[in-house]
Amino acid sequence: MTLSLQHVVKKYKDFTAVNDLNFTIGKGEIFGLIGQNGAGKTTTFRMILDLQDQTSGTITWEGTPIKKINRDWLGYLPEERGIFPQMKVEEQLFFFGQLRGMEKSKLKKEIDFWIQRFDLEEKRNAKAETLSKGNQQKVQLIASFIHQPKFLILDEPFSGLDPVNRDLLKNAILLLKEKGMTILFSSHQMDNVEELCDHLCLLKRGVSLFSGSLLDLKKQYGKTKLTIRTDVSIEDFSKMAGIKEIKRDRDEVVITLVDESYAKPIFDFVSNGNYIEKFSLDYLSLDAIFKDKVGGDLA
Amino acid sequence: MRKFSILLKQLYFQKLRSKTFILMTLLYIGIITVVMFWSDIKAIFVNDEAIEVAIVNETTVDLAPIFASSDDVNFKFPNNDVKPLYEQLKEEKLDAVIHVTEENKNLSADIATYTPLKLNDQSTISSMLQYAGKIYGIGQLNLTAQEADQILNSEPVITMTNLNETVADGKSEDQKEAGMFASYVAGIVIYFFIMAFLSMITTDVANEKGSRALEMLLVSVKPSTHLQSKIFGVFLLALTQIGIIIAVLLTYLGFMDGGEKLDFIQSTINELSFGFVLYILGFLFLTIFLYLIIGALFGSLVSKPEEASQVMTPAVMIPLVGFYVMLSGIGNPDTLLIKVFSYIPLTSGMVMPMRIGATDISPIEPILSFIVLIVTVVAGYMLSLSFYKRSVLTYSSGGIIQKIKTVLKVTT
Repeated sequence: MTLSLQHVVKKYKDFTAVNDLNFTIGKGEIFGLIGQNGAGKTTTFRMILDLQDQTSGTITWEGTPIKKINRDWLGYLPEERGIFPQMKVEEQLFFFGQLRGMEKSKLKKEIDFWIQRFDLEEKRNAKAETLSKGNQQKVQLIASFIHQPKFLILDEPFSGLDPVNRDLLKNAILLLKEKGMTILFSSHQMDNVEELCDHLCLLKRGVSLFSGSLLDLKKQYGKTKLTIRTDVSIEDFSKMAGIKEIKRDRDEVVITLVDESYAKPIFDFVSNGNYIEKFSLDYLSLDAIFKDKVGGDLA
Repeated sequence: MRKFSILLKQLYFQKLRSKTFILMTLLYIGIITVVMFWSDIKAIFVNDEAIEVAIVNETTVDLAPIFASSDDVNFKFPNNDVKPLYEQLKEEKLDAVIHVTEENKNLSADIATYTPLKLNDQSTISSMLQYAGKIYGIGQLNLTAQEADQILNSEPVITMTNLNETVADGKSEDQKEAGMFASYVAGIVIYFFIMAFLSMITTDVANEKGSRALEMLLVSVKPSTHLQSKIFGVFLLALTQIGIIIAVLLTYLGFMDGGEKLDFIQSTINELSFGFVLYILGFLFLTIFLYLIIGALFGSLVSKPEEASQVMTPAVMIPLVGFYVMLSGIGNPDTLLIKVFSYIPLTSGMVMPMRIGATDISPIEPILSFIVLIVTVVAGYMLSLSFYKRSVLTYSSGGIIQKIKTVLKVTT
């Protein structure tokens, strides 16, 4: 294990921001930290980055307290976007790279590679303040990992990006993973977390509701999401047992089952021994699980 | 150290190339140019012809040697009666007519004008008339020319002897004047550089904090390194500007009046003791340091660059007070106000050099004030550092007190 948080607590005068948080991240793994606004994600990041002290608990990197490791091993993209507005794109990347101990010659190759990959060639000598919001975000993202850190933290990296740039970023994250970088990131967009993460931690008001692999989380709920392309009305379905929730989405009916054993009688009812176009039984989406876990007992 | 030098270089060269710095330096050079070449500039824009003044002398005193014409005033001694001269005054052929008579064994002069005289010309004429009055008074005593000359030119020989050995050196008047001049220059330098560079460091930290670039920087740089790089970077920039200004000033002085003014500066510096110069430099640098530390701390408190001026106001008021206290000491550097402000760390840099240079104070007083300043700088740095680490990542609204409260609340 590379990063390990054990019983980490962060208390302020009036409230507890993070309470008894435990998780570990393996080398070269992408780990998602998800939670609502105010769940304690940024506070956790800041404690890992030694920007804030934890009240109690330990944070270690390969067994060494995080405070004692070489700071150049870390990379960080804060949630709020911002770079030096007056600095040119290339100058900015050189500055951050050199500051984190990378040699100029090696840095030049990296900058050229990433500028090309993120389609910023024309903006190389433009001042950051003249770039669009999306391009500024791309520059800041490159700045966060240009020095090839061992461990990269990305706080909401996808927010504000259009679908094309989101894909660019997603592929870049996967490439960094291939190179052996350990990545911890937070996102409100669960589809991104689902696509990228090996493991995750679900936070609610500073308390970990789940920490482990995505598959384990999904298995907790079982295969309860049933999608059927059919003309059968919702009223007809309501006569069936084991249906927790049902709704129509265009030509499909989406059902949440109490458990997967109720799927067979529904299949028999709908197909009646005939061919049907679509009958899909799957795990709940992370989005649905998140809403259930986080929002469930809010009501 | 590597990170410190990268941050320092980045700040220094970025600011050196900035429009603000270039314009500010050009502005100072412009002001110096105008001051140094004021008489030439004035000659271009103002037609300063000498005024014509007629003197009607009805006394026995020979006024011609006293009222010698100059570039500003041209004196005539017509034998006419006053009335035709008054006509010429109305026709503006003359600027003034002085009618000098004897009255009760005193010289009496009536200055008639049609257009009021400028204050400068009026003062020149008045001082000449006063001198003429003395000559007239001496003439009434039937003294020989030698005796008269002795009375007019006699000057007392004043020496200072202080029997209290704990009191300093007993400076000569020349030394005190030179000390006053040097401390005044140091005070002005401190004031102007605080005004310019306090705002620079505060807005720079506020910009980095506001743009969240600071959050990225602090992952790989310790807050102490970041704070030091800001203070030393801006300090280096201030030194650069001081250097440019001094170079321009010395060049002007060297070329003007055949280097006469440069000789005056050199003779003034020669009058200063080595210890005094060290004190001036010590107070100058430490005071600038102290304000830069405060500036960086204030910059770390704000959430947006636009709020920088709001938090800077109290820090700007203090040197302003110190500057006026220093100005008040030009007339009398021994007042209680001066003494009190010469110990307050934020103002001592401007006030204490004046006391050291222009008064005979005990050597222990500047040492004490200097120690208080050093302790304040060190304590201010430690306090700022501890606060800086916590405030750079805390974003809050409200006034400065509210911001401090928020930082303390969310970080303790």
